[in-house]
Amino acid sequence: MGLGTSMKETTLHYYRDPLVETLSEDEDVNLRGIVIVGSPDKNEDKYLSAERVGASLECMRVDGAVFSCNGLGNNHVDYAHSMEAAETRGIPVVALSLCPAADFVVQNKYMDGVICYYKALNEGRQAGDETTVLAQNTVTETDARKALAMLKLKMRKKEKEG
Amino acid sequence: MDTGSRLTVRAYHVDHISYGQENEVTVDGTMTIHKETARELGGKEPLIRDIQIRIIRPDEHRQHTNTVMDVIPLSTKVFGRVGEGITHTLTGVYVILTGIDESGRQVCNFGASDGILEDKISWGQAGTPLKSDTLISFDVVLKEHTWADRSGPEAIHRACDRFCQIFREQMKRFSGYKCTEKHVFQETYKPGRKDVVIVKEVSGQGAVYDTRMFGVEPGGFEGGHSVIDMGCMPVIVTPNEFRDGVMHAMD
Repeated sequence: MGLGTSMKETTLHYYRDPLVETLSEDEDVNLRGIVIVGSPDKNEDKYLSAERVGASLECMRVDGAVFSCNGLGNNHVDYAHSMEAAETRGIPVVALSLCPAADFVVQNKYMDGVICYYKALNEGRQAGDETTVLAQNTVTETDARKALAMLKLKMRKKEKEG
Repeated sequence: MDTGSRLTVRAYHVDHISYGQENEVTVDGTMTIHKETARELGGKEPLIRDIQIRIIRPDEHRQHTNTVMDVIPLSTKVFGRVGEGITHTLTGVYVILTGIDESGRQVCNFGASDGILEDKISWGQAGTPLKSDTLISFDVVLKEHTWADRSGPEAIHRACDRFCQIFREQMKRFSGYKCTEKHVFQETYKPGRKDVVIVKEVSGQGAVYDTRMFGVEPGGFEGGHSVIDMGCMPVIVTPNEFRDGVMHAMD
């Protein structure tokens, strides 16, 4: 697959990204930074870059992370693996996705934090179907709030469990 | 309490746009577009066959569009680098970059948004204009079969960036007192809060599936690097760098 225009985050989206603004404004968390990672073409590179995401988060000693990915298909290989790379290092992850965890092309046991933000489920469409309407299926402020709320729950749970 | 960088963004609202003999934007919100600039910009790019620059007003959305490659805010650094200092930005007007290959292939990864403009944009999202905004359409025709190599789409983005830079240079000289909005972003890290990060996985697999970072200007192309050329390795940026336009979409 790849990335259709309805899933596309434009330069304007990056300029006023609801995920960045929501996490910046929240009074329970410090947004320490944004890790940008390209989704590479080759499978071995996918595992390498995903592993480096996990290692970067470990070095930053963060309490949790919200992941976001605006495509689907083979880039879910690295997406799923980066979730695993963070969770196995003890970092709770919530991951925004165009399709539910069950529809990822690969599976692992660290995908309980996947939230589907696909918008156009009417007219018999399935999550992830391309609608060819620019930015119809992109992350909104409501999606960002949901993700942060779920991350807070996951972080609290981890704290309780020690 | 730790503090990080401080970013001030001054916005200038544009409410009068017309065609003219110059590309000009003034501090009091008047803009003129010189259509002939398209020929000059196209002449610098061997892979580009044609460029059309047009104004699209809010009541002109029932018209055909090629696939939207990007929506770009006109922003420029006045003081400091992207992520700190002072930025000037325009509101009420956005550049809409569209493209087609001479063979008829829309310049996109898949799921082209060509069609009637009104129906092909989800208006008012973070990444799209409001229906009431004025659009400057920068529509490019690439030479046949050049859309699928990175050099083709890069030529389109570079030409559009040169067009944006004409206005950015003028915006640098705007008086700070005359802005219509001012936003100050002071990064703070307070004790007792959970430390979190955002991980954004972006396109990095080739032509029309690419992302650029670290342009000289906010949301700019020039001076930037493709995440493909950076090996798709994770790069950490501050919230202020991100919101000041460290990214340029190339997918």
